[in-house]
Amino acid sequence: ILDSFNDLYTSYVIFCTLLMSVVILVISIFNAEFYTVVPSIPCSRLALIGKIIHPQQVIHSVVHAVMGMLVAWCAAVMTKGKFQFLAVPCTPPESLDDAVPQMCLNEYHLFFLLSGAFMGYSYSLLYLINNMNYLPFPIIQQYKYLRFRRSLPLLIKHSCVESLYFVRNFCAAYYFFGYIPKVWISTTMDLHIDRKLHPLDTLTGLLDISLFYHAWLCGVFLLITWYIAWLLFKIYATETHHFPIQPTFAEETDQCLPKILNSNPPLIIKFLALQDLMLLSQYSPVRRQEVFSLSQPGGHPHNWTAVSRECLSLLSDLTQRLITQQEAAAANGRAKQPAGELKGSPQAPGAVVQEDMSFQSPRSNIPRASMSSLVKSSLMPLKTSPGSDVGSPFSSPALNCKMGILDVSSPWHGSVQSPRVMRRGPKLWTSGSDLQMNGSHHESFPVLSAARVGSEAVQPSFIYTWLQNKQEQIKNFLSKRVLIMYFFSKHPEASIQAVFSDAQMHMWALEGLSHLVAASFTEDQFGVVQTTLPAILNTLLTLQEVVDRHFKLPHVSSKPPRISGSLVDTSYKTLRFALRASLKTALYRITTVFGEHLNAVQVSTEHKKRLQQFLEYKE
Amino acid sequence: SGSATIPSLKHRLQRNVAAVAWKPLCASILAVACQSCVLVWHLDPTSLSTRPSSGCAQVLSYPGHSPVTSLAWAPSGELLLSASPVDTAMLVWDVSTENCVQLQWFGGGGVTYLAWSPDGSKVLAATPSAVFRVWEAQMWTCERWPTIKGRCQVGRGLFPPTQGGYRRGGADGVFLKLPREMQGQVGGSKTASIVADLSETTFETLYGEERIGGEVHSMVWDPTGERLAVILRGFFSPPPAPKIPLPAGRRGTVIAVFRTRNSPIFELLPCGCLRGERGARPQLIAFHPCFGKGALLTV
Repeated sequence: ILDSFNDLYTSYVIFCTLLMSVVILVISIFNAEFYTVVPSIPCSRLALIGKIIHPQQVIHSVVHAVMGMLVAWCAAVMTKGKFQFLAVPCTPPESLDDAVPQMCLNEYHLFFLLSGAFMGYSYSLLYLINNMNYLPFPIIQQYKYLRFRRSLPLLIKHSCVESLYFVRNFCAAYYFFGYIPKVWISTTMDLHIDRKLHPLDTLTGLLDISLFYHAWLCGVFLLITWYIAWLLFKIYATETHHFPIQPTFAEETDQCLPKILNSNPPLIIKFLALQDLMLLSQYSPVRRQEVFSLSQPGGHPHNWTAVSRECLSLLSDLTQRLITQQEAAAANGRAKQPAGELKGSPQAPGAVVQEDMSFQSPRSNIPRASMSSLVKSSLMPLKTSPGSDVGSPFSSPALNCKMGILDVSSPWHGSVQSPRVMRRGPKLWTSGSDLQMNGSHHESFPVLSAARVGSEAVQPSFIYTWLQNKQEQIKNFLSKRVLIMYFFSKHPEASIQAVFSDAQMHMWALEGLSHLVAASFTEDQFGVVQTTLPAILNTLLTLQEVVDRHFKLPHVSSKPPRISGSLVDTSYKTLRFALRASLKTALYRITTVFGEHLNAVQVSTEHKKRLQQFLEYKE
Repeated sequence: SGSATIPSLKHRLQRNVAAVAWKPLCASILAVACQSCVLVWHLDPTSLSTRPSSGCAQVLSYPGHSPVTSLAWAPSGELLLSASPVDTAMLVWDVSTENCVQLQWFGGGGVTYLAWSPDGSKVLAATPSAVFRVWEAQMWTCERWPTIKGRCQVGRGLFPPTQGGYRRGGADGVFLKLPREMQGQVGGSKTASIVADLSETTFETLYGEERIGGEVHSMVWDPTGERLAVILRGFFSPPPAPKIPLPAGRRGTVIAVFRTRNSPIFELLPCGCLRGERGARPQLIAFHPCFGKGALLTV
């Protein structure tokens, strides 16, 4: 032990420690650059690939790989065993004619460095895939030290397990590709490969326990330090910030809550402001009084107006977004639209494509257009039988072809399948590439023949429609290509999550607003809330209707599987359920506090009926 | 609600149900504490089905947290606390995202009883030992309150419906009053004082000697904060007819009703006793939450 303490003071160690701190600094800079409060959810495989090869992500991966290599180098140097140097003298040959001792490549050192680089790269890839740049806000507030201490055991356990996986993957990679860096280094640095020792990229070479152990230990150290940096960043960034409501000093005017809510600050500031609103509405009567206060000398409730206007506009925004989504989903079953914009429809690509494939192989000589219509008409009655279902988008279509049957694995929650749902075709990038496939084929021919006849009077629009139809044809053709479908198909669960990805803001707005309204029943001296009560109730009830309707769409009400005890936070996947629950609780809160007095508020008759349901606890 | 159908809830994980709690500010969510998990049922209040499918139940489980014996919903309806007597961590669940936060402490066993204060700012957690913890719900820090009389076990705890101190009933019939705290901080364990001693006493009545008092089994406060009802298990008090001989050592239960006042000072005045038929034992009592004409107690 004394020896190791002595070792601590050597310059090597100090240099390595400095290098490590530089590494951590760089990692933290990357954490701070890349964070987001709204997760970006790739909706299709192509989007995921696009995310991986995005230049920002490439830089992230390369830098992490380099950092990993640095950490591994420091670890190798500090271990001082056989790993220490890249070049070691070769074992002398047995023959008596002694050549000059040459420098050989120390393969262990190389293995170490490469394993560090590999781990850095895998960390960066996992960071991307698990959306680790997403900052989830905690469900309960706790002091920072307690939060850190609570997450530490899980972090350590996770690092150990993950390091094991990384080392295993790296051993496999080295076995296959290890000779490339070996040869490259030995030629560039003019080192020789030692013939006497076992080369490492063989099975016997790799089954070295001590090597495995050292690599694993290095990986654990690397992951622990990087995860701790990430965790500390998360804890500090999501700490609640206290925004004053009434500015006491002139320079604080820009920081006060109503101003921030109404301007367009960076998203994290807006999130923190809304979280603060939520907390003050529940726990702080003094600040609530400030919200309900009137301005001097005009007597206008500026604070309340600002807060309520912002919350209501957020909620109406969400309502609008959901309505647009629902209309797109509904319209996909009807006639195609001329503009070919991306429709984010939460629909699995139809089994239509799969049936086409299964029928095409024996009858490939039949022209495709008529064939598809034949297939379509013969399959319609088959598909409208209840219980059969469109296949999940990620099951390989080729497998379905071989089985030749409809894929009945339904991620749906037992909802009733309407025939219209069945007929929806693959949703690529327009809404038109579906049932009207055969229709478009037939239409394109008369259009083309009309083109040949040539009516010059309608030239511009005719060319436009001709181009459109050609586009449709190409898209229909491509949509039958299984590979293209594989990449472009939109994963329904991911699309749904993407719509609700910033729902945390809306949840806080709902809670803050409803708590303030409930508190105003006893605390509002000037009645500032009462004038906005109809607007608030209208917005909340409309949002409730739209959310209920949205949950009737396929896939929306099924919960993604939950993995408990994992380090990465996947709460963004279930934000829609939290939003629905919080909306209901907000409405109940208002109706419970106001009770029968709500009948005096001016709302439309259907809303009145719904409020009555809430009052009777029948919702 | 006036409908004649009474749904029954069955689920394969629903074993050894120890506690059941409706979510506040909601008409359709019920949390059930089972042997290995917490089941949250999402029911439709207007549906006529008598057997909701087990797909309506959400399973909240956490390794090491079983059997779950006490549940408490936050009054604002967003968080569910679950506790187990063998787990030294209390779980705070966000039910819709199925995320939980563990609040751990070291030593002292699990939690036998949970109670929220009605304003949602404090949580009382009683342990099997002679210690209980009070958590404040804004930053979730806790304070240990050792009981004054060392050996006694915490049976029940209660928060008054209005702002103010809270009280705790012990197993040997002692009421502790814990004083008003500053907002957001839990403090004052040194200034707790005994408010009422409900251990056994005998006193004379018109009908002869009566013995009342003993163990506090449970207590409830009415929503206006004016009446407190306590189930006391003690020795059998003689019936009005003094000639009937008493079997020795038989325990009976009585419900003592107190009149309480929280301001300007805390006052607890006994105002009567309720006794059921011979052999009947009250198990659960509750006040009607919205009774307009006073306090209505159901036994």
